[in-house]
Amino acid sequence: MRLRVGAATDVGRQRTNNEDAYASLPDQGLFVLCDGMGGTAAGEVASRLAVDTIVGQLKAAESTGRADPSGEGEDGYLLETAQLAEAVRRSNRSIYEQAQQNAGQAEMGTTVVGAWIRQNMASLAHVGDSRAYLWHGHRLEALTNDHSLVEARVQAGLLDREESLKSEDQNILLRALGREPDVDVDLHEVPLQPGDYLVLCSDGLTRMVPDGEMAEAIARVREPELICRHLVDAANRNGGVDNITVIVVEVEEGWWRRLWNRWGRPSGGGRNATVSPAV
Amino acid sequence: MPRLVLQFEGRTLQEQGVGATVTIGRLPDNVLVIENPAVSGRHARVFREGDDFVVEDLQSTNGTFVNEKRVTRQTLQDGDVVLVGKHKLVFDRAGGDDAPAEAGPATLPDMGGTMYLDTKQHRAMLGSLKAQVAAAKEAGAPAKGAEGPAKGAEAPAKGVEAPAKGAEAPAKVAAPQKVAVLRVVSGRADQSEYRLRSNTTLIGKSDTAVVRLKGWFKPKVALAIARTGDRYVATPLGGKTLVNGEPLQGRRDLKDGDVLQVSGLVLEFSLPQ
Repeated sequence: MRLRVGAATDVGRQRTNNEDAYASLPDQGLFVLCDGMGGTAAGEVASRLAVDTIVGQLKAAESTGRADPSGEGEDGYLLETAQLAEAVRRSNRSIYEQAQQNAGQAEMGTTVVGAWIRQNMASLAHVGDSRAYLWHGHRLEALTNDHSLVEARVQAGLLDREESLKSEDQNILLRALGREPDVDVDLHEVPLQPGDYLVLCSDGLTRMVPDGEMAEAIARVREPELICRHLVDAANRNGGVDNITVIVVEVEEGWWRRLWNRWGRPSGGGRNATVSPAV
Repeated sequence: MPRLVLQFEGRTLQEQGVGATVTIGRLPDNVLVIENPAVSGRHARVFREGDDFVVEDLQSTNGTFVNEKRVTRQTLQDGDVVLVGKHKLVFDRAGGDDAPAEAGPATLPDMGGTMYLDTKQHRAMLGSLKAQVAAAKEAGAPAKGAEGPAKGAEAPAKGVEAPAKGAEAPAKVAAPQKVAVLRVVSGRADQSEYRLRSNTTLIGKSDTAVVRLKGWFKPKVALAIARTGDRYVATPLGGKTLVNGEPLQGRRDLKDGDVLQVSGLVLEFSLPQ
């Protein structure tokens, strides 16, 4: 399985510093994106620390082979998923401990969404309001549910989805890394087929660019690096209130299929796009 | 109304009336959310059955205990202590007064950037959310959100339809989940049948595969079967897979009796009804 990968991060239009951090390691099939918080540079520390800890842990796990993950209650998940979850928990512990020891960083924390792709299976872990989407069969599916107050209200039936987009307290998280000694990590396993796109992004993108526009961008643009640039531009055009980070992973089709897409498709692409063009 | 008093290490964390079914677990959609790794996502539930109140374990990993005895299902007596992980739920048949013991609508400090609610604030917040939903159900009226009337047309409506039935109040949590089985009909495999308990079952040559294909030209991963509750979805990932003789291209829900041919291995999928 071959992956084509793009990634972009941008400070946005209104912030002065970028508290998002990411790692994109196509050779390992490992992608991690974090959106830090905690004011005066501490958010940057938290998100960077989370990304580095998770990547470091998984590289170590990879080199030691099939070591048993120590995570409890992970039965029923693939080994990779369990290892990813454990790496996220360790990163939580690292940030928490550092925050305890440094007064200036006491309030720091970060979201995380991570994907580890092995042999057509993506293991996903997430905490907070950074999201993962799968573009499959010309449809964009949300793979994660935000751990935010707004989402909890929607789930409880107190707020509908439309209104939630306008809510003022979208920035209140119910879960984050680094704020408590232990954290609950949401896990998913997603089979990937050729032609699928996996998208990881921070809320700076999803609050500015509706899901439909994201689907449209993928259907039209196709090239991961260009999709990322396109989405960052769209977020900035729509206000750019927060830092914007996006990683796009394309599962490449076989060469015959790519040839067909190039020569056999009507020009302009997006042959079966479900969303009407409006970019 | 009878109630459950949630305690941890001697401290009372929350009280929950048992009107409709009370689901207990780690996931946020439970009525009683206990954020502790020892608690399963959907751990147990307590519901009314005629004049009785019953606790039922939902095949949790660490089990549900009543007065220190592990139970799968048991009628509760006044004062019984239900143990879920390290959290105690004391069953109070008489219930205090009818005033819900939830913390009032939690207020939020005003902050500019992203902020985080710690576990205590979080619980208070979710508690008040749930109180609002419960109040809405009892009044048969749409819930009032903290920021004015909410139009939660779908979710609360389900509860509103049949709140009076009591005993048969629709539980959000499904009955104990069924586990599907793949039986080897023909071909080489290391077992004669596989119970599909995992969230994902892989079929292939890879050492992460549960159903291990043997032979030179077999794909590393041929098929993934994803489980969500008692729904199983197959996705082909390599080689050739047929379901009931038809080539499998995209995702497909597996039904009881489906016959899978995965790179030469023939398997029968069965999901007891």
